[in-house]
Amino acid sequence: MKIWSSEHVFGHPWDTVIKAAMRKYPNPMNPGVVGVDVLERSVDGRGRLHSHRLLSTEWGLPSLVKAILGTSRTLTYIKEHSVVDPVEKKMELCSTNITLTNLVSVNERLVYTPHPENPEMTVLQQEAVITVKGLSLGSYLESLMANTISSNAKKDLGVSFVEVRGKRMDPRRLSSPGSWVEGSALVRQRLLMESRLPSSPAELMERAWMCGRKLLYKFKGWAAIEWIIEHSESAVS
Amino acid sequence: MNSVGEACTDMKREYDQCFNRWFAEKFLKGDGSGDPCTDLFKRYQQCVQKAIKEKEIPIEGLEFMGRGKEKPESSS
Repeated sequence: MKIWSSEHVFGHPWDTVIKAAMRKYPNPMNPGVVGVDVLERSVDGRGRLHSHRLLSTEWGLPSLVKAILGTSRTLTYIKEHSVVDPVEKKMELCSTNITLTNLVSVNERLVYTPHPENPEMTVLQQEAVITVKGLSLGSYLESLMANTISSNAKKDLGVSFVEVRGKRMDPRRLSSPGSWVEGSALVRQRLLMESRLPSSPAELMERAWMCGRKLLYKFKGWAAIEWIIEHSESAVS
Repeated sequence: MNSVGEACTDMKREYDQCFNRWFAEKFLKGDGSGDPCTDLFKRYQQCVQKAIKEKEIPIEGLEFMGRGKEKPESSS
């Protein structure tokens, strides 16, 4: 399911943009990227350069949480495959997460080509697909809400009563609410409980979504490239 | 920028410098032959592969330089 796509035009020629793209990290727009390695690199029979890279990113969790979890468990790894065709002047880059894959997959594709009308400019087309595993994002959010509201009313809510129309009632008697008033009181109680004691699978899924959102911010990838170009104008010949 | 394996960072930076120079001055100008960074890359690679195994990073199906289609044992 495609979630996000955009196009950006750089005011620089293709060669300049590509040189910056190959040296993208570190940059201040992506502080979460803490490690980059080239795993494999080769030129194919058509003269195109293939690179396989491994990125490690930090979630940006508070240091207390990191201390509890252990630093290595807060790292997310991403693999990247890029192809640079110097004759056709096209660079294509695809990346996907290789950890947290049981929860979420974030797939990104970037294509850099010269602007069709102006060779001094470069077009970046970018698209990202985020899939919460097993569900589309919309239906995941729906089911999360549905589960919160319709969770088993027969369970002990941890309170000894529910207040309905000023009367204290045993919540277990409301497991099959006879009226919408009783039902909504139950729902309110449950939601209150849920907000204080989030269930772990739901919280984990939300964390995965937050992780995906942080990666979304990284999708303003053009801003990082512009910064690299600006800060290495003298080095880029 | 650091390497994923802390011990490999210096080798990575040396290789990156070599690669970036070759990429800008040769490859993009149409001369893709004669990669001068092969030796640097081999040493750097050995270090990275070791780090990947140690950290149990789930890399699969990649061909590593000089190792053909061999897959790392610790994949997934």
